[in-house]
Amino acid sequence: MLLTRLKAGGPAIAKQGILVAFILFMIVFSLASDRFLSMDNVMSVLRQSAIIGVMALGVTVVVIGGNLDLSVGSMLSFATVLVVDLHDKIGPEMAIPVMVFATLCLGAINGFLIGFLRLNSLIVTLGMLSAIQGLVLIYSGGQNVDIVDQSGTWFRFFGRGAILGIATPIIIFALLALIIHVVMSMTPFGRKVYAVGGNPTASVFSGIPRSRVVFATYLISALCVAVAAIILGSRVMGSQNNVGQGYELQVLAAVILGGTSLLGGSGSIIRTVLGVLMLAFIQNGLILMGQPYYTQWLVTWAVIIIAVWLDVAAKRGRLFSPIA
Amino acid sequence: MSRRITSLLATSAAIALAGAANADTVRIGITQNNVGIDSYQTTYERAFIEAADANDDVEVIVLDAGGDVARQISQMQDLIQQQVDAIIIWPTDGQALVPAVRNAHRAGIPVVVTNSNIAEAGLEFIAAFSGPNNIQQGIYSAEMMCEALDGEGQIVQVTGMPGYTTAIERQQGFDDRLAELCPDVVQLDIQPGDWNRERAQRTMETFLTRFDNIDGVYSGDDNMGVGALNAAIDAGRAEGMVFIGATNFAVGYDAMARGEYWGSVYQSPVDDARAALQTALDVLAGEDVPLLNYFDTPKITQDNMDEFDRPVF
Amino acid sequence: MSTTNATTPGPAAAPLRWLMRNPIWGFVLIIFVFFSLATDHFFDIRNFQNIMVQTSTIGLIALGMTLVMINGNIDLSVGATLALAAAFAVDVQSWAMFATWGNWQIFPAVCAALLVGIALGALNGFIVWKTGVDAFIVTLGAMLGIRGLVFVYTGESSFYAMNFAYSDFSALSIGPLPVLALIFLACTLAVHLLLSRTVHGRNAYAVGGNREAAINAGIRVGPHMMVNFMIIGFLAALSGVLLSTQMGAATPNLGRDYELWVITAVVLGGTKLTGGKGDIIGTFGGVLAIGILRNGMNLMQVPAFYVYVILGSILIAVLFLDKQFNRRTQGGLRL
Repeated sequence: MLLTRLKAGGPAIAKQGILVAFILFMIVFSLASDRFLSMDNVMSVLRQSAIIGVMALGVTVVVIGGNLDLSVGSMLSFATVLVVDLHDKIGPEMAIPVMVFATLCLGAINGFLIGFLRLNSLIVTLGMLSAIQGLVLIYSGGQNVDIVDQSGTWFRFFGRGAILGIATPIIIFALLALIIHVVMSMTPFGRKVYAVGGNPTASVFSGIPRSRVVFATYLISALCVAVAAIILGSRVMGSQNNVGQGYELQVLAAVILGGTSLLGGSGSIIRTVLGVLMLAFIQNGLILMGQPYYTQWLVTWAVIIIAVWLDVAAKRGRLFSPIA
Repeated sequence: MSRRITSLLATSAAIALAGAANADTVRIGITQNNVGIDSYQTTYERAFIEAADANDDVEVIVLDAGGDVARQISQMQDLIQQQVDAIIIWPTDGQALVPAVRNAHRAGIPVVVTNSNIAEAGLEFIAAFSGPNNIQQGIYSAEMMCEALDGEGQIVQVTGMPGYTTAIERQQGFDDRLAELCPDVVQLDIQPGDWNRERAQRTMETFLTRFDNIDGVYSGDDNMGVGALNAAIDAGRAEGMVFIGATNFAVGYDAMARGEYWGSVYQSPVDDARAALQTALDVLAGEDVPLLNYFDTPKITQDNMDEFDRPVF
Repeated sequence: MSTTNATTPGPAAAPLRWLMRNPIWGFVLIIFVFFSLATDHFFDIRNFQNIMVQTSTIGLIALGMTLVMINGNIDLSVGATLALAAAFAVDVQSWAMFATWGNWQIFPAVCAALLVGIALGALNGFIVWKTGVDAFIVTLGAMLGIRGLVFVYTGESSFYAMNFAYSDFSALSIGPLPVLALIFLACTLAVHLLLSRTVHGRNAYAVGGNREAAINAGIRVGPHMMVNFMIIGFLAALSGVLLSTQMGAATPNLGRDYELWVITAVVLGGTKLTGGKGDIIGTFGGVLAIGILRNGMNLMQVPAFYVYVILGSILIAVLFLDKQFNRRTQGGLRL
C-alpha cells in the first residue's frame, strides 16, 4: 500500500520524509510529557544542539563534495583545549584567532591529502582522528584546562550569553546555517561543490578545479569546528582532552538523517539542521519520558534506517530495492 | 614533555644495554586504565614516574590501556613476557582482568592492584590492593547529602561513564547508603555524564526542565558536578541547591571556595601513585603486606577545606 | 599491476614484484627488523605467541571485513556485535537449564553467541539488500542500536564466568601455537580459500567491481551480500567469544572503536573501499602490522600519547605509498 502511495502522489511527501518523521516525533513526545514543548525545554534543546549543529554544517559541505570527515571530533577536542588554555595565557582576543588558525591548518592537511593527493577521505580522516587526539594529549600533557576568572571574561558571551533573550549558541548556529545555506545554494562555489560531488570526472572536464574545491570544503569544515569550539569552551569554561570524542558519529548521523547522500552531489543545509534537531529532540524527549539513556541508541538506529530508506525509496520511485 | 621523552628513551636504552647488569634493581611494570581521559589519571602517572625516578633501585615500565580491556590484557601478557619483577595494574574492569592477573600469578610475578579493585574471584591471585575505596567515597557523599538536606529532599544523580567499575561503585555506595541513612531523600533520576563536564551540563539542563524541585545533585566527580552547577547557575536555580561530588577536583575546590559547591571527597592521585609503588616495593622486599590497603579519602566541605591543599588536577 | 615494475625478469624479481604488489608485507618486514634490533624482548618465541593471540581479535573481524569491503560495502557494527556475542557466551553458561552440564555448559553458550552474530549480520545484510540504503548508513545505525542492546541485556554491568575452565581455554596451546592463534590462522586459511578458489569468491569481486555487470551475469547480488554480512557477523561473534575466554568475563563497553581498527587493518592490506579489489594475504599483513606496532611500541615504552600520533600517521603514509605504487587506480575518493 505504501508502495502504491509512493508511486502516486507520494514522492512529494516522501521527499520530506524527515520533516514528517520530525513532526510525528514532536507530537508523540509532547503527548508523553507536558514539559516537552515548553519554552524552557525547547530553548534548552536548541542551545544544546548548537555545538553538534555547527559541526554538522561543515560536514554536510564535505559530504556534498563526495567525501567524509571523521576527524571533526578530535579536532573539536584540539580546538577547545587550545582556546581555553590560551585564554588565560594570552587573553581571549588573541586566543580565538590563534585557535582558528591552528584548526584551519588541520583542515588544510585534510584538504591537501584528500583534495590534491586524492587519498581516500574515510581513511585519511580516520588517521587524523587518531593523530589529532594524540596531539591534544601531548599539548596539554593530559591535564584538564580551565578558565580561572569565569565571570569576568567577555569570552563567556559565546556559550552562556544571550541576545534579546535568545541564547548566543542558538543565534550563532542559525546565522552560520543561513550563511552556508546561501553559499551552497546561490553562489558559483556552492554549485561547484555539488558538481564535484555528483560527478567528479565530468566536473574536471567542465573546467572545475576539483582539487581546490575539495580543499575548500575541508577548510569550511575546520572553520565550523573552530566555531563549535568557541561555543563549547565558553559554555563549559574549561575543557577535557577527549571532549569531542564520539562527536564525529553523532554529527555524521545528523547529516545522514538530513538525507545528504554519502555518494556526494546531493544534500541540503536546511535538512541537516532538521536532522540535528531531530536527534537532539529524540534524546531529550526520551529522557523526559524517564527512559534510560540507552533507549535513545535503539530509537536512533530505527529512525536512521527508516528515514534514509524512505528518502532512497522516494528517489527511485519504489519502496524496495530492485536488486535481486 | 620533551624532557619526559628523553628520559624514557634513556631508560629504554639503558634497559637494552645494561640488561640485568645491576642485580639490585627491580623492574616494575604498570598498566593503567586510561591516561588523559581526566586529569586525575594523568597526575597519577606523572607522580608515579617521579616517585620511581627518585628511587635509584627501581626501573619502571609505564603502559596505558586507553580504557580498552583487551589492550590491557595484551599489556599484561607483554609484561609477563618481559619477566618484570612485579606488575601494578589499574584495572579497566574489575571482573575481566581476573584471568590475566591469574596468569601473572602463575608465572610467579606478584601483582599489585591500584586505585580500583579487582573482583572478588581475583583476590586470591593478587599480592595486595592499594588505593581509595570507591564504594566508601559514594557512602561519604551520601552522608554529606543527608546532612546538607537535613534528611529530606529531592535529588538527581549524574554518573560517570556507564559500564565501568569506578562509575558503578561510586553509584552503588551512594545509592545504598542514601536509602539506609535518609529514606526521605528521593532520587528523581540517574543519568550518565560520561566523566565529561559538557555532557554533565547537558544532562543537568534536561533535569532542570523536567523537575521543578531539585534540592541536591550528586555527581561521580567534581568535574561533572561543576558542569551541573554551571547548568543550574545559567537557569537561575543554583541558589540553595546542594552540589556534592565523589572526588574533589580543582574546579570543585574553587567552586567550594566561592560558596557554590557543598562538598566532595578528597582523593589525591599523588598519594595513590606513591602508595601503589610503595606497596609493590614492600611486597618485593618480602614484607608482610595486608591484602587491602585503602588509603583515607576524607570528606571535604566548605567548612574544612582550609585543611586541604587545592587539588593539582 | 605487474606491468609497472616488471623490468628485470629474473629469479630475484619475483619476490620483489610480489612485495611491490603487497607493500604492507614490506612494511611488516621493516618494523619486524626494527623492533628486533631496538628492544630486547621482541625477538622471542613467547612474544610472537603473544602477538598472534593479540592480533586474533581484530584479525578475525578483518577477514570478514575484507569480504564485505570487496563487495563495496562496509560494516561499522562489528564492535557492538562482538560485545553482544561475548555477553551471550558468558551469560548463557550460567543459565539454570545447563546447570548440570558441567563443562559442557560452555557449548550451548558459545553456540548462542555465534548465532547472535550470524543473526545480526543477516539483519544488516537483509536491510542493505531490500532497502538499497548504503551499508555505511545501515551499519552506523546498527553500531548504536546493537550497543544499546548490549546495555539492555547486561544492565550495564559486567558478566563473568563462574567456570575457570572457560578462561583456561585461552591459555591452551598445541605445540608452540596458542589455540586462539590457531583458530585465527585456520579461519584465515578458510576465508582465503573461499575468496580465491570458490564461485562465491569470484562473485564477491564481480559484485564489488561492477554491480550492473554482476547483475547482468546472473549473480544474485542481494543474497550474496547478505551471506557476506552473515560471515562477518559470525567472525565478529567468534572474536567476541575468544576475547571473553581471555577475560573470563564480558563487559558492556567491549569492542568500542574496533570497527575503526579493523577498517584500518584491511585498508593497510590493500583492500579498496570502492570494492572489487583486495585479498586475505594483504589483510593478514595489515593485521600483523598493527599487532607488531602495538606490541613493539609497548616494549619500547613509547608514551601512550605518541602512539596515537604514530598510528594515525602510519595509516596515512601507507595509503599514500600504496597510491604511488598503484598509480593506475583512480577514483579512490568515492565511498
